[in-house]
Amino acid sequence: MFQPFEMTFQFGNFAGEVLLRLDGLSSWFILIINFTVVTGFFYGTGYLKSYQLSRAKRSMHWILFLFFHLSMLFVCMIQNGFAFLVVWEIMSLTSMMLVLFDHENPKTFKAAINYFVQMHIGVTFLTIGFIWVYNQTGSFSFSAIQTYFQTNQNLWLFLLFFVGFGIKAGFIPFHSWLPHAHPAAPAHVSGVMSGVIVKLGIYGILRMITFLQADFLLLGEIILTLSILTSLYGILNAAVHRDFKRMLAYCTIENIGVIGIGIGIGLMGIGINNALMYYLGFGGALLHVLNHSLFKSLLFYAAGSIYQQTHTQNMENLGGLIKSMPKTAVVFLIGALAIGGLPPLNGFVSEFLIYNGLVAGVNSSSISQTILFVLTLAGMSLVGGLSLLTFTKSFGTIFLGQPRTKLDHQPQEVSMRMLVPQFVIIALMLSVAFFPQVYLKFVGTILVMIHPMQSDPSMFDSIVTASMRISLYSLLLVGIVAATWLIRASLLKNRSIKAGATWGCGYVAPNQRQQYTGKSFSKPLSKIFNVLVIEKKQFEELKQGEIFPARKSYGSHYQDLFEKKLILPLADWMVNSANYFSFIQNGRIQSYVLYGIVFVLAMILLSIFNIVA
Amino acid sequence: MLSVTLILLAALFFTGIIIRTKSLASGRKGPGIMQPIRDVLRLFRKGTVYSETTSFVFQLAPTVYFASVVMAMLVVPFGQSKGVLSFNGDFIFFAYVLALGKFFSIIAALDTGSSFEGMGASREALYSMFAEPAFFILMGSLALLSGHTSFQEIFASLHIGSQISYAMAALATFVLLMIAMIENSRMPIDDPKTHLELTMVHEVMILDNSGFDLGLILTAGYLKFALYGALIVNLFIGVIPYQYAISAFFGIQFLMAVAIGLIESFMARFRMSHNPQFIVVLTSVSLLIFFGVLLILQKFI
Repeated sequence: MFQPFEMTFQFGNFAGEVLLRLDGLSSWFILIINFTVVTGFFYGTGYLKSYQLSRAKRSMHWILFLFFHLSMLFVCMIQNGFAFLVVWEIMSLTSMMLVLFDHENPKTFKAAINYFVQMHIGVTFLTIGFIWVYNQTGSFSFSAIQTYFQTNQNLWLFLLFFVGFGIKAGFIPFHSWLPHAHPAAPAHVSGVMSGVIVKLGIYGILRMITFLQADFLLLGEIILTLSILTSLYGILNAAVHRDFKRMLAYCTIENIGVIGIGIGIGLMGIGINNALMYYLGFGGALLHVLNHSLFKSLLFYAAGSIYQQTHTQNMENLGGLIKSMPKTAVVFLIGALAIGGLPPLNGFVSEFLIYNGLVAGVNSSSISQTILFVLTLAGMSLVGGLSLLTFTKSFGTIFLGQPRTKLDHQPQEVSMRMLVPQFVIIALMLSVAFFPQVYLKFVGTILVMIHPMQSDPSMFDSIVTASMRISLYSLLLVGIVAATWLIRASLLKNRSIKAGATWGCGYVAPNQRQQYTGKSFSKPLSKIFNVLVIEKKQFEELKQGEIFPARKSYGSHYQDLFEKKLILPLADWMVNSANYFSFIQNGRIQSYVLYGIVFVLAMILLSIFNIVA
Repeated sequence: MLSVTLILLAALFFTGIIIRTKSLASGRKGPGIMQPIRDVLRLFRKGTVYSETTSFVFQLAPTVYFASVVMAMLVVPFGQSKGVLSFNGDFIFFAYVLALGKFFSIIAALDTGSSFEGMGASREALYSMFAEPAFFILMGSLALLSGHTSFQEIFASLHIGSQISYAMAALATFVLLMIAMIENSRMPIDDPKTHLELTMVHEVMILDNSGFDLGLILTAGYLKFALYGALIVNLFIGVIPYQYAISAFFGIQFLMAVAIGLIESFMARFRMSHNPQFIVVLTSVSLLIFFGVLLILQKFI
């Protein structure tokens, strides 16, 4: 066991003494932050080369990146609500500025503003939460939250924090900033944002769980239900989108759901006093946090490499890139397999733990929870199937087949400076896949901290052994593949190997535009789920009597259900109602002076009648 | 080891019996039972032709597909005797290993750049996705019923006693059989003997494979059939002594092959656009099993 590192400093009169503490939970997230930021930095130096930036702009970018990094570290360490909000705000602002990298593009600008506004809605919730605690206990320190939870009802305050952190993490319906901000940012920033910043929402939720005293079961059920819906919604949208960075952003939402499922199982485990569920749920969630930060940053870097070489984010314009960018293709393939949770890669280890938690929950709860667990089990398997569809579509459309359009310049493999960070990530992913015990040992010490369950730690050891066995079997799978491959190679050595055209099924003049597209690949799916993924088509019908039709165009894109039905109407309503007050800000200096006089008069009158001090 | 040996033996005959049944049903004599195996052996001796469009993915995919099925085979138990690998949650591993093989077969189809193969790949991904929840709800219910979480423990402690459990075993057989049909792209979902590429699912995906690779894919297909057959057998044998269990194994595999042959002889394939609905029905049948389990455990009060 290791002792948490602690130090305190004074932060103004209001916040009081601020405690900085580096405990297991903080260090787990700091490990993830540091690793992703370092790979992001090395990748980013290579990525930005093609932009030919001015010196000033480049320095500005990296200074912001540094502040961004520092603020994230402090978010993980500070144990005082007021100071926490300050660093949380610095983190949001610097990351917004980083998103604004390509600020001439109006779309980027819009995405950044969207991000900015939504982050502040989140901060509002957090502020209300901290002030609530301050109001009741007179302290901003995190330990005050614990005292509050000991004496008051847990549910509502926790939900307030959950919404605040959930906006950062991207739980539905608070996710709508994510698919805008991630594609707009440069690749290394989106990698870090998706790999890490979203996880800090998870960090916040976990930190609040460490203080929680009651209502575990109910909160677990709420989080579990919301998470499986988040997961399904995220991956369903990922499956239909053809902007590959947006696809990855939606996929992040899916993985946050998977992490949330783990947290939900863990909470319910505490609620019904089932140590196995607790260990499997939180253990799986924490390991998935690490895993997702690895393969998601990897995929975003690979996506950045594609964008750098082809200048398009639309996968329908691509195809056959495996020939010109073989290394990036392999990197993307490994990332895709890992994110789909397929053995033998690391995604499977954590998903396996979470699945086992679900099965453990099925076996040991009352009827309503059993039903919830079985439905979640079905939902998670559906998520698995959908992510298979999503990533076969993406990998197939981007890298396989033949180029669909003629690009302005022939794409080439990216520089080693961009590739090496990706190889390092892959090495780490493999280490998680084949030596999970190293990581799980550490997770075990964190789990003791989140909630000291009164059971023997040997249960966690059995989970570690189970995961080691899984990696052994994954190794066996690799062995079978290798053996089959060797037999194949030795048999084919002296045989005739010919190359010919793809069998065209009798059609002799195929061209590249006739290849199956990403859209057509996922069309049957989007047709079935057209209630959830709304397709917007733009086209002109052929008019009656139009004998010689003019050139026409056809466009189709998918809209986000929650954004369209919930966020945008709400925003419109707010803008409209704000219009009623526009007479106050009428641009006449005289009225502004009048407001001042009214205010001063009011103050004088109020103090005369002793209403304010 | 017993289960692996039995599955390998069953795989030798399974497809042959299906073909023979179909021939007899259509009034032909048909090829010998071992003809599919002879075909595969011949393919293993041949050279190959690759499309110029393809990359290493296309060459690697059949190997991974085959390996994934072999790996899944190692997990399947036989009654009381464990599979080669047996651990808590092995049915999750089973499903995900098969998914890995599917991933590679789908990207291999996309690698050829043929629109027909892309179409097949898209359907394969969609159908197998819809089949997943049915399998997981089924296994979740059986785990609930038996209180265990590994294939072998679940099947060994399934005791068919009350009338509800007979109904459930019948439903579970139906679900597993239909999942086997979807996984192997057989009749109600996909017609392996259709002549039009536009209406194929699995067959169109392997149009460009030849020689050794095609042999691997076909072998994997035969194994997959026997694999699901073994799972169905496991529903019934429980703690029966081996001499009966083994004969029951071959009996049920034989019946299953004949049933598939008869279905393919006397039924038409469903409309492509209706397939997803049909597959989702399997999930609701699984839910019925789940509620049956809740009834047996008297959780409904």
